[in-house]
Amino acid sequence: MAAVLPVGSDLSGAMNRFLKTILEKDIVDAVLMPMKVPSGDSFAWIIMSDSSIVDDAEAMAPVMPVQGARALRSLTRKGEGSIRVLALMRPCEIRAAIELSKLGQVKTENLILAAYDCPGAVPMDSFVSDPSSGEDLFRKMLAGEDVSAGEVKPSCTSCVEFSMTDADLHFGHFGLGGTEVLLIPGSPKGMEILEALELPADRETSIWDEAVRKRREKQVASRDAAFEETGENIRGVQGMLNVFADCISCRNCRAACPICYCRLCHFESETAKQDPNSRLDSAVTRGGISLPADRMLFHTGRMTHMSLSCVSCGQCSDACPADIPVAQVFSFVADRTQKAFEYSAGRNDGDPLPLRSFMKSELSGIHEMVSDAEPGGHAHE
Amino acid sequence: MSEWQPRILAILCNWCSYAGADLAGVSRIQYPPSIRVIRVPCSGRVDQLFILKSLQSGFDGVLVSGCHPGDCHYISGNYVARRKFALLKPLLEFIGIEPDRVQFSWISAGEGERFAEVITKITEDVRKLGPSKRLVKKT
Ligand code: SF4
Ligand code: SF4
Ligand code: FES
Repeated sequence: MAAVLPVGSDLSGAMNRFLKTILEKDIVDAVLMPMKVPSGDSFAWIIMSDSSIVDDAEAMAPVMPVQGARALRSLTRKGEGSIRVLALMRPCEIRAAIELSKLGQVKTENLILAAYDCPGAVPMDSFVSDPSSGEDLFRKMLAGEDVSAGEVKPSCTSCVEFSMTDADLHFGHFGLGGTEVLLIPGSPKGMEILEALELPADRETSIWDEAVRKRREKQVASRDAAFEETGENIRGVQGMLNVFADCISCRNCRAACPICYCRLCHFESETAKQDPNSRLDSAVTRGGISLPADRMLFHTGRMTHMSLSCVSCGQCSDACPADIPVAQVFSFVADRTQKAFEYSAGRNDGDPLPLRSFMKSELSGIHEMVSDAEPGGHAHE
Repeated sequence: MSEWQPRILAILCNWCSYAGADLAGVSRIQYPPSIRVIRVPCSGRVDQLFILKSLQSGFDGVLVSGCHPGDCHYISGNYVARRKFALLKPLLEFIGIEPDRVQFSWISAGEGERFAEVITKITEDVRKLGPSKRLVKKT
């Protein structure tokens, strides 16, 4: 069940008015949402306590410059703040925030996480070069009009978690023809907001449910096709090397990733430095190695470290100057590693991180290597 | 003696497998001279990167060995290690590294015999596979 928010002429505007109201009524102390930068070619995260500033903000921005979870991390990594902040973000940003909260990097106690039905994002590079066409394109996407897949951020064309997540409050608008928005509470915190506004959650949601289901079907099909293509491209050492052959080791993919939060990445640390002669030895024994070294080790290492929490937001691809489909590869791998532990990153705040939870008896195929070893038959005194 | 010998990195938990290796030595049990040992405080300390790095550095195989389930001195390090390993294994296979090159086992301090068996087994498995050429770009 949901409450209903009437929409006048524009969807984003109606959401802005809602946010303004909850600020004016002191239901929350501040709102975190995107605002267009002065040059007009990008958006920044602004946390605002003055409701008049909300007029200049944009509930749903066409682009995704900084992953919202990174903004939340910069706000709360030292602990929760003392004021209540509502953060309005895309579903993948909320999912990343939930992962970061499990990893101790975001504190959600005083945050109200709000998401909306996301129609996808416009790639950063095309938006920067032509903001007004980018905005037109995004309006079409919001209205559900067909746009060509090449114009949308590649991760968005295969995103299957584009709607309600584990957020406290969700703005559902798919299938409603732009005339109203459903306010769907996802937690007691979300419910409290509706109660404080005296908005009864009494509308049933079947039209919206159906629209989301239909869209998901389409998205699942295009994700499966994308996975198939990626799977073929990266199969075998040679495939993987070819995909990353253009990599200039700038590490932008890691810097843009919401999940890579380590203060000092291994690959930047002293431990990663190697004695020159050991590099030269490798060059001699292998006939040749490429420099800077450790390019593949960086990508495969990052994969093993964070793929269980990858939310497939596509920020890594967007940040890559060499046009490498980093996110496609990482989502492909993440899909498999998460499935192995029946986990889905950010989907549910209550699901423990797979590496923190284990069962005493599981994964037996992993370590039975001496055929006559008795399971559990150990002689440890 | 010019036959190719596999080089295998054995990453052993201090409390069990490392002591098992010691017992094998003290008891003069024979096993192939194929391993180089790194001692870690617990199998839970082994990051997937250690394994990738050893392969990249030219080892032909990697063995990680910790305490039997229930016996980890830090209670659960070996269970976590098993999950990390389960995560790495399919990735290695996907990028074309033969599954037998990287193995995981439990060996206790009292199992000198078993230590020798495990080393013999991985050495033979790797010998069959031949020198590691993977993670090396062929031009
Ligand atoms: S952003 Fe692209 S070029 Fe830079 S390190 Fe990542 S994959 Fe390589
Ligand atoms: S690895 Fe790429 S797709 Fe995955 S969470 Fe990080 S930026 Fe997003
Ligand atoms: S102490 Fe041996 S595996 Fe943890």
